[in-house]
Amino acid sequence: MDFHFSSEHVALRRMIREFAENEVEPLAAEIDREGRVPFETLKKLGQIGLMGVCFPQEYGGMGAGEMGYCILMEELGRVCTSTATNVGAHIGIGAMSIYLDGTEEQKRKYLTPLARGEKVGAFVLTEADAGSDAAAIRTRAVREGDSWIIDGTKTFNTNGSFAEIVTVLAVTDPTLGARGGITAFIVESDMPGFQVGTHENKMGIRGSSTAELIFEEVRVPQENVLGKVGEGFVSFMKTLDMGRLTLGAACLGGAQAALEWSVRWARTRCQFGAELAHKQEVQWMIANMATEVEALRSLVYRVAWMVDTAQPFTQLAAMCKMYGSEVASRAIDTALQIHGGLGFTRDFPIERAFRDARIAEIFEGTNEVQRIVIASNIFREHGVRIRP
Amino acid sequence: MRVIVVLGHVLDPRGIAVNRRAGRVFINRREYILQPADRCALEAALRIKDEMPAEVVVLPRSPLPDDDVLRQALATGADRAVYLAGDGLAAADDAAMARLLAAAVERLGGADLILTGATTLDTGQGQLGLRLAEALGWPHVADAWALKTSDDRLEVVRQEGAGYAVLEAALPVMVTVAPGALEPRYPDGARLINIYRGQGEVAAALETWDAADLVDADALQPLLERRGQEFPPERERGVRASGGLEEMARSAADALRRQVRV
Repeated sequence: MDFHFSSEHVALRRMIREFAENEVEPLAAEIDREGRVPFETLKKLGQIGLMGVCFPQEYGGMGAGEMGYCILMEELGRVCTSTATNVGAHIGIGAMSIYLDGTEEQKRKYLTPLARGEKVGAFVLTEADAGSDAAAIRTRAVREGDSWIIDGTKTFNTNGSFAEIVTVLAVTDPTLGARGGITAFIVESDMPGFQVGTHENKMGIRGSSTAELIFEEVRVPQENVLGKVGEGFVSFMKTLDMGRLTLGAACLGGAQAALEWSVRWARTRCQFGAELAHKQEVQWMIANMATEVEALRSLVYRVAWMVDTAQPFTQLAAMCKMYGSEVASRAIDTALQIHGGLGFTRDFPIERAFRDARIAEIFEGTNEVQRIVIASNIFREHGVRIRP
Repeated sequence: MRVIVVLGHVLDPRGIAVNRRAGRVFINRREYILQPADRCALEAALRIKDEMPAEVVVLPRSPLPDDDVLRQALATGADRAVYLAGDGLAAADDAAMARLLAAAVERLGGADLILTGATTLDTGQGQLGLRLAEALGWPHVADAWALKTSDDRLEVVRQEGAGYAVLEAALPVMVTVAPGALEPRYPDGARLINIYRGQGEVAAALETWDAADLVDADALQPLLERRGQEFPPERERGVRASGGLEEMARSAADALRRQVRV
């Protein structure tokens, strides 16, 4: 067993942390307040190769693997949840779906500009009546000669309002359902019939964009089918496994930040004639927080190592997402308590972190869905197939 | 045009806690970063390369435990790096390094411009540039804020008193760059991964030379002897002025008169 990061990953973290603290953190409060996407940051991330951190260099990526990607998400999550969300939607699910199931030609045509940061990606799945029950989607794709015609409306699409390359899930055979009846497609935003609908006005991650996408008879050529016809649902779930791991990494960053704020505050703030660091109740809060952060760190990077060494990781990725989001929420809640009234003001980053953290328990599969995934994997090992 | 950058490493100050009462410096994380002024020197070299055809070669400013900072420089855009190793090297001070580096510059076949940081973050040494210029018999400009090169001349902006002076020198010349002079660029991601993994073109850009092949053992003898270290005297606390604006101004003026004897 070896728990060391390799020298390339140490160097990569040094580079990313510097970028995060110099370029991302100074904008975090502003983009939250103004509700704007920091396009300038996304561009800079692309210029130094970070928008394709995990993809092979032959497709314009950096080649740092899932380990490198988790480092990126932890460091971004530590300073700005909105930026982590934009980047996660682009790399972790948008581009990732093409990397995992794309043909050689699709990777050249679509993954390469995404990995280079020249174009932004999005992953389009959720519908008004298909959230946790993702297989209940109604967006239709009907074959017409050499193309498919896509019709339907997708909701809650991160990056949807500006992404140029999106992967979409649609029903191709209503009689078959999730197994065999659903197909994934790569759609370009300039294809006729592709429209951006309403934008969500969110409680947190306000520096990210969440929009409705309307597909009105969008004609997509046959070569843009991602993976095999009828296997889109499985393909999308596979992508989501990766997204869940890296969301856990972003949550690790958020929890780490809450711990750092708390320690800094506890060693300076004096009450009853002594710094908070000398109060046992604060010590216990910080000890609990630090323990959970370390447990999460071990889980996240172990699963990243499993991905990079091609081991099965579905159940553990669900744990990363579920446990990570809950650890982050708890840590930020505790940090707020330690900071008292000042933590509740907008002069401190904690209230923003508090609003930002909540969504992590919901998106990329609610924590309830994660528990179903974990339990069904456990029971399957004991010969029980749990019923939905 | 060949530009040589001499750079070194320093413990990341963020991994260090100083406890004056215990009289100790605690190293929580032993992580090294590029000396900030050396990093500015590298940036100055890369900006020259952005403007005209140039080869940027990096050399270490002090004995290094490993070649990490050289890899960082290669990832950031340097073309070639030479790691200097050897038994007698560990104790080398700036005087010894200047002799060694002069020999390394010869071995490289000379250069048009050598850049290094004007000072170091840890020991505050600013001798290396001067000593290297002396060893090579080159002119020397200290504390540059900006550089402009043409084929055979160099224009250097440096801070002098309350303003700036523009100096001109003929090449070759040795220039030390002030810390904070330039905003350094980030490494390129793929280059970084390749140089650390030892793959791709960039991996061949890093070589190791043995100090013993460049100079004899005497040349590596240090001038400096380290006898110990202690904390500098504690800084005196200032005086907080209170009251109205005029009152505060008066007490500030009084304090200045009393203490600084303005």
